[in-house]
Amino acid sequence: MAMTRAEYWDEVRSVYKDPKDYVLAGQGNAYVRIDAEAKVTGSAVYTDDVYLPDTWYCKLVHSPYAHAIIKSIDFTEAAKVPGVKGFLTGADFPEGHNLGNPEAFKELADKEPLCRKKVRMVGDEVAAVCATTEEAATEAAALVKVEYEPLPVILDPFDAMKVDAEPIHYPPDQEGTASNLSIFTVMKAGDPDKCFEEADYTDVSYYKTQEMVHAAIEPHGAIAKYENGEYTIWSTTQGAYVSRYWVAWGLGVPESQVRLIKPMMGGGFGGKLDVFAHELCPCKFAERTGHPVKCILKRDEVFKCTRTRHPISFQIESAFTKEGKLLAKRCRHILDGGAYGGSGIAANTLSLICATFPYKVENIDMIARRPYTNHPASGAMRGYSACQVHFAHEIHMDEVANNLGIDPVELRHMNEITPYYTGPTGLEFTSCKFKECMDACAEAVDWKNRWRYPLGSGEGIGFSGSGFMSGTGFPVLVTPHYCSATTIVRLNREGYAVVFTGANDIGQGSDTVMTMIVAEELGLNMDEVKCVQSDTTTTPWDAGSFGSRVTFLGGNAAHHAVGDAKLKLLKHWAEEWDCKPTDIQMADHRVFIPGDSEKNISFNEACYGYEEKNFGRCVAGVGAYNHEGDKDIYVKNVGNYATAYSFSASAAKVTVDKETGQVTLDDFVFGHDCGRPLNIRAVEGQIEGSVLLGLGFTCFEECVYDKDGRHLNPSFRDYRFPTALDMPNIRTFICSEEDAEGPMGAKEAGEGSTAPVGSAIGNAINYATGLVIKELPITPEKLWRALREHEQNPEKVSFGGEGLAEKFASMPPLPDRYDV
Amino acid sequence: MGKRVIKFTLNGVERDEYVQDNMTMVDFLRKQMNLTGTKRGCEEGECGACTILLDGRAVASCMMLAVEADGHEIVTIEGVKKDGVLHPVQKAFIDKWALQCGFCTPGMIMSALSLLSENPHPTEHEIREGISGNLCRCTGYAKIVEAIDAAAKVMAKEVAE
Repeated sequence: MAMTRAEYWDEVRSVYKDPKDYVLAGQGNAYVRIDAEAKVTGSAVYTDDVYLPDTWYCKLVHSPYAHAIIKSIDFTEAAKVPGVKGFLTGADFPEGHNLGNPEAFKELADKEPLCRKKVRMVGDEVAAVCATTEEAATEAAALVKVEYEPLPVILDPFDAMKVDAEPIHYPPDQEGTASNLSIFTVMKAGDPDKCFEEADYTDVSYYKTQEMVHAAIEPHGAIAKYENGEYTIWSTTQGAYVSRYWVAWGLGVPESQVRLIKPMMGGGFGGKLDVFAHELCPCKFAERTGHPVKCILKRDEVFKCTRTRHPISFQIESAFTKEGKLLAKRCRHILDGGAYGGSGIAANTLSLICATFPYKVENIDMIARRPYTNHPASGAMRGYSACQVHFAHEIHMDEVANNLGIDPVELRHMNEITPYYTGPTGLEFTSCKFKECMDACAEAVDWKNRWRYPLGSGEGIGFSGSGFMSGTGFPVLVTPHYCSATTIVRLNREGYAVVFTGANDIGQGSDTVMTMIVAEELGLNMDEVKCVQSDTTTTPWDAGSFGSRVTFLGGNAAHHAVGDAKLKLLKHWAEEWDCKPTDIQMADHRVFIPGDSEKNISFNEACYGYEEKNFGRCVAGVGAYNHEGDKDIYVKNVGNYATAYSFSASAAKVTVDKETGQVTLDDFVFGHDCGRPLNIRAVEGQIEGSVLLGLGFTCFEECVYDKDGRHLNPSFRDYRFPTALDMPNIRTFICSEEDAEGPMGAKEAGEGSTAPVGSAIGNAINYATGLVIKELPITPEKLWRALREHEQNPEKVSFGGEGLAEKFASMPPLPDRYDV
Repeated sequence: MGKRVIKFTLNGVERDEYVQDNMTMVDFLRKQMNLTGTKRGCEEGECGACTILLDGRAVASCMMLAVEADGHEIVTIEGVKKDGVLHPVQKAFIDKWALQCGFCTPGMIMSALSLLSENPHPTEHEIREGISGNLCRCTGYAKIVEAIDAAAKVMAKEVAE
């Protein structure tokens, strides 16, 4: 009988190093990033740094209308610009080969490479221009005349759900009822209705979060060439293989004829998961002209035409006992999907799963709807759905605590998820140090003396907790491929190893982690392991950098691959030395049996000996890792979403200037359960970056639109995020135990850590002002207005989310299929 | 649009270059000089990814024309490592893990060099002010501030010796 997965892995794992012998993992600063020198000297090659001889340039033509029919496109004037070499419209791509993945199937994809008949957002791409210089392409693109017939614009997701709404994608049904729902998801367990009837305490609250953008400093872009019938494309992607699939599909060619290379990436944060016109058009132009063609977006194009974080409106009902036990939750989440699906489809499910974190709640009734609107398409963003959900649900948690007269941290402890708890819909938690995270933060901010800043004094401390998936098992941009991570490791008798990792390093440092795992197991130095990074021709399949899966899945794949190679090598030497493979160790370039000076050879000799007995074949190992799960989780929400879960707590100390509404973040403490930290400074760096993102989300950032759907602040001048002067000192506490399934015991460190930041700051602002702010961002102006209004009318303390109760009450029912 | 010859010093080497009048410095460096370490992030002087040194002071190279370099001294990130030896600021960025995606790093380092040449013993607040024109979306700036502080101390020690 064939070996089972468990048996195979057990054998591979048998030759893993004992954690007590780790030289690199967990030692913090014992090694540096493998790309650090290239990055500090300017030699690191990012997409825009790929210069090929005779490169021509592509520029896209964008819709100025949020919703319109394309009547005609006229290139006459544009063609007169010297250096112009060609144009593309939607008709140049095979019809029906759309991008994105509503309901997980490409047949239902909703984004045309270039719009054929209709535009659905300002910035939608309607044509492309190719010219010999970037300047000529830009000039010509501005001269392309497109005639539009404007349609009614829908910007409010509640308006989009009305039965008489203007259809954005789907034509009305036979009764004339429109459906602008891109996806909806339910999550139910237990008997919530009974709980609400019997509970001592119930409530209903409304919250709202805004649209923000990823704002990676590197703009999106691509350069493509066409040779021997094959397209080669260097692109700013978070998933080379997934992008390759969609590029090939959009072009209508087999995947075998597209090679996608991910060079260095200047940040992603979820904004570079989808596939865009700026990747497809250069391919088409390269094929037509024989020249390499480059298309790098300008900053305003990145703002308008890529992806955003879903704005979410929340209705949260909760039922507690008077002692503080959480009995049941009913939630309705309305996510503004913007114009398209793509990576945005997973947002619904994630918003519901996150709403069950980080507390035990056995009775739930949750529905998330994601209507289309004429905003730019919402998509995946770091702390995917979790940032919004944990803002609303954790502000709510403090409201409950205050209503019940229970200390907010105590209330959290009473309901906290504990190790190896299984949630009512099948979420299987493993290691969990949530309690320890909260304890560390409470102590660090001296929570028990928090009233040293009296309510409304202008200073306050806020607390928050969260959980997140570590090692998402499901794609957020679907392909027909297995959603795994794969790695190949080759040992070289010249004294080094090569790791071919499919994992996509987008700046977080995963290439360094993969290199470290291989070096650690083989007893080599970091510079003796060469990392070949994601390229669909040279590295094996990987589903991409998203869902906090890279360390967990990619790291396990690398660990399995090096284990597979090590097992082959040690089996050979066990036979030579008449012992078991597990008797042999690898360290300091030696392969040896401890205490036996006869059985002690160099790494090089060991590889040579293996090759000699194996007809010259080198030692190579293949590793893969995935989470087995049912893709239907995106609609049914039953089962386990990820291989493990991380937990975080945070506390913020703020000062609010009541004259100006200005918030200063004085201190921030963070407790994170990331399993074994594979590098402490890397983990700290992820957390410090998370605090920046969370502070921006809470107090700074918002995309603003006019009534016609035009983005009013698509630049770093008008869309501000925190500078070095805005950031507080951050104290990080790593509160972890090894996760049994994690690579070397690790879990995720960079995404869940964004989730509790907003609510910690929000709660702190609330205690500092004596108000309850329920809507983001909490800008100085909004806070100033709230404080003034409160002065006039001291009864009013709750601000934000106005009008949501009526909007939720007047939503149409769900379609029959899911109206359960 | 016209072209002209400019004479300037680039990373310590005197050069004569034939430059288009309306070309920005960042495009000139990247496209004509093949110095791609200077990054295009926003092209309106907000993000600082294109920061270079003009006569020793940090400027956004997207906000100046290449012809303005005529008669001046330009240093880009490629000119910071000298004779194969990393500058203490570069070394500190590596040792302190003061970078993630690295896209802001060249500009950040140029701003740090400008700051330290004017103020060799900056306080933490002065460091933060010195890099406040450089946006970083990854690090939260904490380790960058730590690295610049560490580099200042190393450089002060080198001067003392």
